Amino acid sequence: MDLWPNILQLLSSGITIGAVYAMVALGFVTISRASQIINFAQGEFVMLGGVTTFFLLKSVNIPYPLAILMAISIVVIIGFLLYILVIYPLRKASVLILIMATLGVSIFLSSTSGLIFGTLPKALPPFSGAKPFQVWGVSVVPQNLWVLGTTFILLIILYLLSHRTLLGKAMEASSTDPLGADLLGISRNLMTFLAFGVSAGVGAIAGILITPIFFTSYNAGPLLGLKGFIGAVLGGWGKNSGAILGGFTLGIIESLSTAFIPSGYKDGVAFAILLVILYFRPKGILGSPFMDSRRW
Amino acid sequence: MVDLNKKEYRKREFLYLVPLWLLSLIVPDAEDLYSYQRKEFKKRDFFYLVVLLLLPLAWHDPHFHHLMVLAGIYAILAMGLSLFLGYAGQISLGHAAFFGIGAYTTAILTTRYGLPTFLAFWVSAGVAASAAYLIGRPILKLKGYFLALATLGFGEIFLVIVRESQSITGGVIGIFNIPYLSLAGFSFDSYLKQYYLTWGVLLGLLLFSKNLVRSKVGRALLAISASEDAAASVGINVAKVKTGIFVISAIFAGFAGSLFACIMATANPEAFSLGLSILIVMMVILGGMGNLYGPIFGSILLTYLMDILGRYQEWSLPIYGVILILLLIFFPDGIGTRLGIRLIYLISYWSKKRRRDEGKL
Repeated sequence: MDLWPNILQLLSSGITIGAVYAMVALGFVTISRASQIINFAQGEFVMLGGVTTFFLLKSVNIPYPLAILMAISIVVIIGFLLYILVIYPLRKASVLILIMATLGVSIFLSSTSGLIFGTLPKALPPFSGAKPFQVWGVSVVPQNLWVLGTTFILLIILYLLSHRTLLGKAMEASSTDPLGADLLGISRNLMTFLAFGVSAGVGAIAGILITPIFFTSYNAGPLLGLKGFIGAVLGGWGKNSGAILGGFTLGIIESLSTAFIPSGYKDGVAFAILLVILYFRPKGILGSPFMDSRRW
Repeated sequence: MVDLNKKEYRKREFLYLVPLWLLSLIVPDAEDLYSYQRKEFKKRDFFYLVVLLLLPLAWHDPHFHHLMVLAGIYAILAMGLSLFLGYAGQISLGHAAFFGIGAYTTAILTTRYGLPTFLAFWVSAGVAASAAYLIGRPILKLKGYFLALATLGFGEIFLVIVRESQSITGGVIGIFNIPYLSLAGFSFDSYLKQYYLTWGVLLGLLLFSKNLVRSKVGRALLAISASEDAAASVGINVAKVKTGIFVISAIFAGFAGSLFACIMATANPEAFSLGLSILIVMMVILGGMGNLYGPIFGSILLTYLMDILGRYQEWSLPIYGVILILLLIFFPDGIGTRLGIRLIYLISYWSKKRRRDEGKL
């Protein structure tokens, strides 16, 4: 039985999908660092990124790099609109109302994109060549390297943004100590607004990167968003490094699980991991800066 | 002159007060649900009962009957969730799973093992309760977003299991030809009979929950909703009470699911997805948290909304999303509560404004 190369192959695809989960998790963490809100529509940004790029590339015939840039900016604008139209009016509402409102946004965005762009799954052309090459008997598509490289760059950018700039510090302050942030003259609304933009941008990039590998259809958003969130919880809620670690761990476990159980149960594995991690270690692998606060 | 003006005000205020008074006759009194005394059967309850009994006879339209049956099933679900969400202040986004467990238990027992439907009705509630107990013990120590996510995860796992274990549940296609609920040779096979069945079950469960809310457990739920630490400090076993109310709301969902399976005669996984959980939570929110009549009105309202939206086919989901968000923005604490506040505010505002204008003159 050639189980070993099979497992290596699964590992490679697990790392790729893990990178996507990690990027979605980064989007969640970016918002939670600024406002302790969880945006259940995060997965829709991923879907919109892929689908909008496909639309610009195939129907409007815009060159690929320009289409990518335009798609990212469109999704960022949608993120800003989401904050202005939904989150801002509900900024004083309870957790339950916010969850329901973002779920409503998720329903609206996915069904609207199904109406506008069609319900068929979309596949973008790969960035640079579709010819797979062999590494230790595992065939790797160049797109996988693009995904990994971009995840790494995004992590560095977000790290620098949150730890090395005044803006990042202000965002974190407005989440960890709202009253103190108010006293220092930090506009909490502005910080959350910007965080929504950044997280929409990260989501869109993730969507554009995976569309050449996995098909993106209009209803892919909720599941991707939830798995990204599970990744963020698994690694350590509220930490960029935790989001990356959790996303990759989740992707690899999920991919390897298909070697042992029927692949239909793959989605269940992620949620089983979630229940286990919430029960035994709710603050995640790396620990969470928010877990001691009363709100959780 | 002054006296005349005063009389004028009284007349006008009376005009606004008449609709409010009429509204207060129909809208249930929140005080009833919180007071210790056992209230006698009120005129208002009598009014509800008569309306419930006569409405389907007066308006003899099969579509209306069918919608009211659906609304009744959703109302049972929403009332159970209201105990968990409105009274105990916990969040559950996985209630559709218990509904599904109830429906599938009935479906499997009646079609595969030929069990009488009446027995399956009770067994499905029991299965839902034991599932809730098993899942509730570990996850109910979570709060807020994490509890929401964990219950949502449970719902998704349920869906995956149902879709994949085709030999038991029939996979994506589901189970067909579930017999109608029958008791001692009497089969509930028409919409009218099903209407009385559903709302009868709802009435029984409503009486149960009214008594539960007035009991010691009900007080404990309110205390937990306000502050778990404070509740624990006065000797309430928080974990036990939370698990208990979770199990009770799952039993409600099990009953509802069993009724659903018997009435629709099918059970397939699409009916128990996250969308249903969202719908039920919306019913509870729109009806008002911490209120037992509210979810019933909320479920009737949303069932009708879904029926109307169904006519717009592919546009129904975007419109549904927008309506959901707008309702949440404008009525975050329930339509009844918010409308009451608005009305009182408007009345005081109008009379004040008129007085101010008179003063200027």
